[in-house]
Amino acid sequence: MSENKILFSTGNLEGLAEDIGKMSDTEGSKLKLSPDNADSGLTKLVLTLIELIRKLVEKQAMRRVDGGSLTDEEIERLGETLMKLEMKMEELKKHFKLTDRDLNINLGPLGDLM
Amino acid sequence: MNENVIDRSRDITILEVLDRVLNKGVILTGDIVISVADVDLIYLGVKLMLSSVETMEKLKSGKH
Amino acid sequence: MEKLIYSIIKGTENPAQLISVLNGLRGISGAKLEVVSCERIAAVVCSVQKNAVVTDRSGTLEYAGLVDNLSKEFTLLPVRFGSVMESNDEIRKMLQKNYKEIEKNLLKVEGRVEFGLKVFCDPEKLQARFNAKGEAEIKTVDNTVKGQNNSVFKDYVNKKLIEYRIEESLLSYVNSVIQEITECCAGLEAISKYKKMPSPTNIIDALFLIDKEMTDQLIRLVKDLQTRYPDLNFILTGPWPPYNFVDITIS
Repeated sequence: MSENKILFSTGNLEGLAEDIGKMSDTEGSKLKLSPDNADSGLTKLVLTLIELIRKLVEKQAMRRVDGGSLTDEEIERLGETLMKLEMKMEELKKHFKLTDRDLNINLGPLGDLM
Repeated sequence: MNENVIDRSRDITILEVLDRVLNKGVILTGDIVISVADVDLIYLGVKLMLSSVETMEKLKSGKH
Repeated sequence: MEKLIYSIIKGTENPAQLISVLNGLRGISGAKLEVVSCERIAAVVCSVQKNAVVTDRSGTLEYAGLVDNLSKEFTLLPVRFGSVMESNDEIRKMLQKNYKEIEKNLLKVEGRVEFGLKVFCDPEKLQARFNAKGEAEIKTVDNTVKGQNNSVFKDYVNKKLIEYRIEESLLSYVNSVIQEITECCAGLEAISKYKKMPSPTNIIDALFLIDKEMTDQLIRLVKDLQTRYPDLNFILTGPWPPYNFVDITIS
């Protein structure tokens, strides 16, 4: 395809350098399940799902807090629980030597999980 | 137009093309076969979808 | 010998023209193109070695280039790269089996082309806008005095709440931009699709299927949108064959 397909841009494409890099990045966190790494692949999968649920719970909790329907005490307890959950997650990640990026599975055309 | 912008334009166009031709369009499921010059035969059957997506990604990054 | 399928086209009343166009084009690695017809539709294919479509990035781009050239001459549905079937007969059977779906999609894309619009932001600039909003007080049911019993847990909630509010503001901003784009494009009679925030910098990934004649109008609209959103970066690409607007999966 010899023609240029860009019909309009501000010409300021330098700022996109990072995005272009990301788009062609293949070292990312593909979930590779093969016989020799099935264990760590499985761990990644499990932790990814837990992290996803934790983030959803956190978002839902913040929605409640923002809505103003909780008492001072309830907010305290919520904070304690969420904080402990996050700390536990950090521990697990450290233990299995996984980063946030590792836990973000790329679903191909659907984009990233989180 | 300085060289950088031309390169970036080219990069963006190539990525747009590859995204469409590798991921979109009419999809024929079942046994589709692709063999890339430096990678072994890969079947795009449902079971091995993960490894085939890997191949596609390799194509995208220009690793020949 | 197997067959690699490039695209599915609407059959032509002028088969001689079809043949002459195909004779003037070549598939990847110079392969000759063939037509497999089935009533009013046809597949454009070429022969490939059994069990191998040997290629690399340039082969893939060659494939895309051919589909692009074909789309300028015929109403077509682009086929994903790497689609191989055993023989022309198998292809004919496949066309017959999926005839209705294929014809429906061909009708949808006739005379139309696809455009992609990506909108980029500067995340820091954008966040700065929403920061003020995020910093507002936590409201509670019993209206306790602020500052009383400030605990580490309350601070944690505060921090998370600000993040949440910024994210919600961002989402609502993205929705408003999409709303504006939709309204602007109303006159184009487009079929459109939007993906929100595929990345922190790419806030909108939009696709449009419009009549070929509307191309200049679309470009003008995007130019106009850019001036109205000087802090965002609009990039319009196209025209493309309708890769993102064919929804058939053929088994």
